[in-house]
Amino acid sequence: MKPRKIASALLISGFSLMALSAQAFAEVTISFLHKWPEPQNLAYFEQAVKAFEASHPNIKVKMEAVADEPYKDKIRVLMASDQVPDVYFSWSGEFGKKFARGGRALDITDAVYGSDWTAVFSEASMGPFKYKDKLYGVPINVDSKYMLYNKKIFADNGIAEPKTFAEFVAACQKLKDAGVTPIAFGNQYPWAAAHYIGDLFGKLVPNATRLADYELSSPADTIYTDPGYVEGLTKFKELNDSGYFNRGSNALSHEIARGSFSAGRTAMMYLELVEFGQLKGTKLEQDGWDFFALPGFPDGKGDQGLLTGAPDGFMVSAKSGHPKEALEFLKFLTSPEQGADYVKMTGMTSAVIGSVTKDTADAATLKGLDVLNKASGLALWIDTDMDARSTEVLLAGSQAILNGTETPEQVMAKVRETALAVKKDRGE
Amino acid sequence: MMAIQHRMVPYLFVLPAIILLLVFVYGPAVENVIYSLYAWSSMSPDWRFVGFGNYGELFANPIFWTALLNNIVYAVVSVLFQVAFALGLAAVLQAGVFGPRLRSFFRTTLFLPSILPVTVVGLLWQLIHQPTIGLIDQLLYTTGLESLSHVWLGEERTALIAVVMVSQWQWTGYMMALFMVAIAAIPRDLYEALELEGASKLQTFRHLTVPGVRESTLIFTVITIFGAFKVFDIVWVMTAGGPNHASEVLGTHMYRSAFRDDVVGYASAVATVIFFLTISVGYVQLKLQRDHG
Repeated sequence: MKPRKIASALLISGFSLMALSAQAFAEVTISFLHKWPEPQNLAYFEQAVKAFEASHPNIKVKMEAVADEPYKDKIRVLMASDQVPDVYFSWSGEFGKKFARGGRALDITDAVYGSDWTAVFSEASMGPFKYKDKLYGVPINVDSKYMLYNKKIFADNGIAEPKTFAEFVAACQKLKDAGVTPIAFGNQYPWAAAHYIGDLFGKLVPNATRLADYELSSPADTIYTDPGYVEGLTKFKELNDSGYFNRGSNALSHEIARGSFSAGRTAMMYLELVEFGQLKGTKLEQDGWDFFALPGFPDGKGDQGLLTGAPDGFMVSAKSGHPKEALEFLKFLTSPEQGADYVKMTGMTSAVIGSVTKDTADAATLKGLDVLNKASGLALWIDTDMDARSTEVLLAGSQAILNGTETPEQVMAKVRETALAVKKDRGE
Repeated sequence: MMAIQHRMVPYLFVLPAIILLLVFVYGPAVENVIYSLYAWSSMSPDWRFVGFGNYGELFANPIFWTALLNNIVYAVVSVLFQVAFALGLAAVLQAGVFGPRLRSFFRTTLFLPSILPVTVVGLLWQLIHQPTIGLIDQLLYTTGLESLSHVWLGEERTALIAVVMVSQWQWTGYMMALFMVAIAAIPRDLYEALELEGASKLQTFRHLTVPGVRESTLIFTVITIFGAFKVFDIVWVMTAGGPNHASEVLGTHMYRSAFRDDVVGYASAVATVIFFLTISVGYVQLKLQRDHG
């Protein structure tokens, strides 16, 4: 080539290289994946991203939102194809530990505990995101499960809030005798049954045993053998067989069941604190509603003060190209102002201490958070706390129990068998 | 030199298509078989070679056999409706029993379900099947037939057949339209000849129409069986394979293993089994076609 041509080629490539690197220094893009595409919740995240980009002109956030059930698929596809987003949602407990074990989540112990960031969250909301004493995620909200009831129906039938499980069963029977459907229950996706079962396990199985079993650290000859498990499943079966749940729970979605509860057609429903906002403007609101934690057993071997619930949160990809910016974004999302906005706009209870107040939340949410803070501990959602395969067996088993095609003993035997197989696979 | 170049030209024309097939179809199929020899999860980057371990697990897993049986049920019912019944419908419409406008109307309305997206069909029929408030139950209750009511998608005995029938609702009209084209290809004078000899419509159907569309029937049967073994989306949307695996099919079993149980190697093994099953069906079809033709 002629020297002139070579010179101009070099000059052009030189300039473009400078331009590209200038851009690289100027702008960083982080990817952000969460599981709240509902308009009301999405609006919060959109404004949070806008506010963050405004205060950090060199960082752009590419946000994506997928609903609850499809999220479980999407995150696995992204993991398998090594396209982990910089910041991604994770349930706490075993679900989050999976990412830590697989080297997919960044160890942020020092980033959080080594700064004032640690004052933002309670230890209880951070605990479920720890693996081998290291922190891998930050909580965005805290959630718990309560038995909500229609005040008018309870008053009409002379029923008071039950203090023990036996009183709860008696109340259900009284409602059934009066021709009212006691409990709305939609188990088309069987996590709904799992919440009942997890709560019962927490109250009937000694806590240390239960946690060791879920973690698969129990010895092979005792794992999942505690009689409390079968007892818990039996109690759940009895609720169904006594006719306290609506008809066809295995084919009814949770949302449709909630619809019948909020239309005032059923007396009670087991709902999450973050769902309280969905009841605004419904007939149930007119009738008046309140809630109680699912009561325990005076002779139960577990912890009767346990509340079923968990924090939800975010993790940073261990292979993120921009961990500093990702952590900046998370810190921004969990700042006091953002925490307050989160509560005001989504109605969910932010994990940021001091964000749920009279100014940001209604009385029911405040009471819900109060009960949560007073609980002796949280029994995490069992389908995110047990290993994935044993969970699938338990979930399918719950549907079988509702149909009467399998007994509690059979289901627990299958869970034990699966847990032993997973233990073997993990080489434990 | 020129002669060789000329002979190369046809191959060059098909080369792009072959490359696409290799990259997007055959390549991944081979890769999938390789994946099935390892135990791995999407969560962790560790891969452990297990040889045929996944296949051993697969054949020992009762859920796999339930799923396979369900696929066979799916195939049998689909052939009954989408081949036998569709052929009957097509013959009725082609026989001139209805006037041209009514014929067109029936063809269109019966064909319409096949153009709906599968998720829409799944959600729609889920609502229709809802306990108590769904259309089916409402119909049964108002006509005094409550005793016939079931929790269609929630009971282990009815879940699979409910989903299978929705598939038939969606695809029978489509197959009927295909059969109508095949029947229209039979020469008209053969029909007139039979009519002159005094043959009834049923006899004409048995002795002229059915043999006349034999080739099409074979292909449509094979396609229907393929579809029945590969089915996933309609089952996943309506029941996710539940309750308690009652409506599990190979497709949903594979999906659940990969995206819920995190045993992707095992899921690849299921995929390989589906692949070999459909290849066998295709092979049988080729043989039958060769024997006939």
